[in-house]
Amino acid sequence: MEIGQFLSAMTPLNLGLALFGVIAGTIVGSIPGLTATMALAILVPITFSMEPASALILLGAIYTGAIYGGAYAAILLNTPGTPSAIATTFDGYPMAKRGDGDLAVALACFASVVGGMVGALALLFLAPPLSKVALAFGPIEYFWLSIFGLSLIASLSEGNLAKGLAGGAFGMILSTVGVAEISADIRLTFGSQTLIGGFGVVGALIGLYCIPVLIDLVAVPDRHLKVEGGVRSVRIGEAFGIAMKSKFNLFRSSVIGTLVGILPGAGGSVAGLVAYSEAKRTAKPHQKFGEGEPDGIMATESANNATVGGGFIPTLVLGIPGTPPDAIVLGALLIQGVRTGPAMFTQSGSIVYTFIYGLIIATILMLPAGLLIGRYAYKSIVTIPKAVLVPTVGFMTIIGTFAIRNSISDVVIMICLGIFGWVVARFGFKASPIVLGLILGPIAEQGFVQGWTIGSAINDLPGMFFGRPISQAILAFTLITLILPLVLSRRQRKSAMEAD
Amino acid sequence: MNAPVSNSQGQLGSLLTSAFFVFAGVLTLYDTTGYTDRDSQVFPQTVAILLIITAGISFITRFLRPLGEDGFGAGVWWRRCLLIATMLLACFVMPYVGFLPAGVVAFVGGLIAAMHDKWTKSTVFLYLGAGALIMVAFFGLFKFVLLVPLP
Amino acid sequence: MLRRSILKAGAAMALTMTFGTSAQAELNGPVNYVIPFGPGGESDISARLQQPFFKDKFGQDMVVNYQPGGGGAVGWASLNGLNGDGQTIMGINLPHIVIKPAQKEVGFTTDGLNAFYMFHFTPDAIVVPADSAYQTLADLVADAKANPGQVTMSGSGKASANHLAQIKFDKMTGALTTYVPFKGTGASTTALLGNQVKAQWGYTTVGAKQGEAVRMLAVAMEERHPLFPDVPTFKELGYDMVGGAYRGIALPNTASAETTQMWSDMIGEINADPAFRQQMLDGGFALLDVDAAGMADFMAARTVEYLNDAREAGLIE
Repeated sequence: MEIGQFLSAMTPLNLGLALFGVIAGTIVGSIPGLTATMALAILVPITFSMEPASALILLGAIYTGAIYGGAYAAILLNTPGTPSAIATTFDGYPMAKRGDGDLAVALACFASVVGGMVGALALLFLAPPLSKVALAFGPIEYFWLSIFGLSLIASLSEGNLAKGLAGGAFGMILSTVGVAEISADIRLTFGSQTLIGGFGVVGALIGLYCIPVLIDLVAVPDRHLKVEGGVRSVRIGEAFGIAMKSKFNLFRSSVIGTLVGILPGAGGSVAGLVAYSEAKRTAKPHQKFGEGEPDGIMATESANNATVGGGFIPTLVLGIPGTPPDAIVLGALLIQGVRTGPAMFTQSGSIVYTFIYGLIIATILMLPAGLLIGRYAYKSIVTIPKAVLVPTVGFMTIIGTFAIRNSISDVVIMICLGIFGWVVARFGFKASPIVLGLILGPIAEQGFVQGWTIGSAINDLPGMFFGRPISQAILAFTLITLILPLVLSRRQRKSAMEAD
Repeated sequence: MNAPVSNSQGQLGSLLTSAFFVFAGVLTLYDTTGYTDRDSQVFPQTVAILLIITAGISFITRFLRPLGEDGFGAGVWWRRCLLIATMLLACFVMPYVGFLPAGVVAFVGGLIAAMHDKWTKSTVFLYLGAGALIMVAFFGLFKFVLLVPLP
Repeated sequence: MLRRSILKAGAAMALTMTFGTSAQAELNGPVNYVIPFGPGGESDISARLQQPFFKDKFGQDMVVNYQPGGGGAVGWASLNGLNGDGQTIMGINLPHIVIKPAQKEVGFTTDGLNAFYMFHFTPDAIVVPADSAYQTLADLVADAKANPGQVTMSGSGKASANHLAQIKFDKMTGALTTYVPFKGTGASTTALLGNQVKAQWGYTTVGAKQGEAVRMLAVAMEERHPLFPDVPTFKELGYDMVGGAYRGIALPNTASAETTQMWSDMIGEINADPAFRQQMLDGGFALLDVDAAGMADFMAARTVEYLNDAREAGLIE
């Protein structure tokens, strides 16, 4: 951690790479169907000719920009640009619908920068101890974590717990379609070749979120988003003020995001979900989460950007990638001849620290770049005539879905899912529980089966499932999440009845 | 005015949707009987049961307490169908005509579906021109920068 | 313009073909290298190691795409539907491509895959954490015999190389270990490091990657791996186990014989490069050179072997 490494992060080349990476990443992330993983996979060969630290800075900058960029489509089109922005749609789109879209985008930027900083600082100062957290999470912990996630989904389905849970369960079933990972069976394909690949998260995301929006847009002549008096740059100041007031929320969500990011396989979507639920649980009475509450966006966006830094902790300390983009970064490092794994922090320390400083710089650069791009994105979505917006987004969904697995059948599946999602949403089954169930399903299943296998082997199933401290903590949180709202609303109803 | 109509439409639709989910759960349970490995049965069975229970609850509560919300709402049907139909059509012709022509099909379909105002000469040229530009830009981005093998 | 140059290239290729010389690397642009797994696994790493050599020798970009799903099945099922012009190749893995079709209708058959090169394998190895009580393989076997079923061993997937190795070894020792399947070697290594399981059925690449954090008890090779001179082979310890996961590359079966030969030569050239070989060895891989000519025999032998093992293991009828 010397000044030399900090200075080498500040070379013009590295600064340029950081800025370019953040901008490119933001654009990639904002297009549904393009993920950070894809962008990184393409750019890895370019890094061969670079210094390891510079390569890392470029890849890290793209990653962090992409996680932020997902918020644009989430806020303005109700479609998460990347899975990590799913929770941003909860309050982002309502804010956009009532004309506060520019505020939402600016808030997302501030929150992302804060979250990214917290994650990167955790990486800088606390990586070795925090990496132990990654190892402490075994299959059972992941299983309970996904149950916790399911309970969060349910608790967020205001007033319609049953439908929310049903959606989540249905999403989990969708996740089992295809060849099973943990055994050799083929499930729920009904003999179809096309379904053997199962339902990819990104394709389902686009289908279940974006297509219904398009269907609704064509059906009515109204403008997509209301704009009063043009785009005001004054809103950045307003956003800053709101952000400052929510310091605690920002910090707490960033910490949550960092911790979730450390867990390999959890990802930004889970982080956003948990942070959002926590923010909602501790909300003040006047705040209306789900109807366009700024704190909601700030919670999710800071959490998901914190997973960038958090995800690098097990990646760099243990050689275990936190998320798929981390795996690509590891691959890039391997080709550079950098020894990944436990040796990395010690042997290649200067590369690692230069990279971390570069990541911090890239995160800082994301503030001006993000605000600028955000304003531009907002302006174009709002002013573009709906007649052009709809086919453009439609085209984008087709090309984006195709690019995931180079498969036309994926596009057809996406559209069909979209029709399905639109119909069931009309009758109370929203898209978010289904998509989140789709994401959590594999985590739950693998955790359960692995935990069961180990537990049976050591002849201590109850101890396995309920005896581990971390699992107990997660289980406690789950019960609180499920029971507390019921208790509170009953108390409210009682006091309302007594008041009459 | 319209309330009774959408009420019954909403009621029927809501019940049907819940029933669909129950059916999906049952279907899943049936499918699990064909698996060879116990490990791959456990999870789908548990989740299917959860689905049946929750969808069943939503069916019953809606049945007993019709709320009058939900429904397809106001909206022009032919536009909706046109949008989806052209998108699907684009998928089916893609292997034969390539990506860009198929994209044009989807784009034009969406354009017509979304265009509520009257068509004027300028809007036709402007929109189609903008559309062509957008499509080519995305195509270029994906094919040459991101190296996606578009047909 | 482009069409003309393709025609020219085609004509040139046809000419060289008729004169019996081996085909020149007539690639038309960047190549699509599809990995039917997610990023970070052995297939990905070995592809990434090939990437710069490919660009260097043949002047074209090798673009790595990931198509995970079903432990590789999704990718392999789609292979023969891809363009056979030689611009698209896909990684293949043994024993997966032998065992999966034998178990179920997975959308592809072993013989239907146009494999043209097997360029490395990762030898099976039993890995334990550095602070594990097992100092030697004998310790683990003793524990497994004394406490049947209680020695939990993580591995990647079911009916995979790791799983087969575990079943085979259990038969040889007469002990009973419990196999816990994980999604990929990375996840099974995490479980090992977190002490969720007692040991791991992994590969030498795990030992290379994790270095001091783990200890390998034995490797399934004929001779000790150059990177790990202190780790005995199973053979030395009295167990006839040699094998691991083999990885290679295939083309869609619509590709012409010339294209297949061309690719076989190109990959063969990369595989012969000493710098490449050294990088692979440093990563814990073991190299193999089965080209298109020798592929049929190699696959036939392996198919028989794996189907036999799988049958004995009870994985298939």
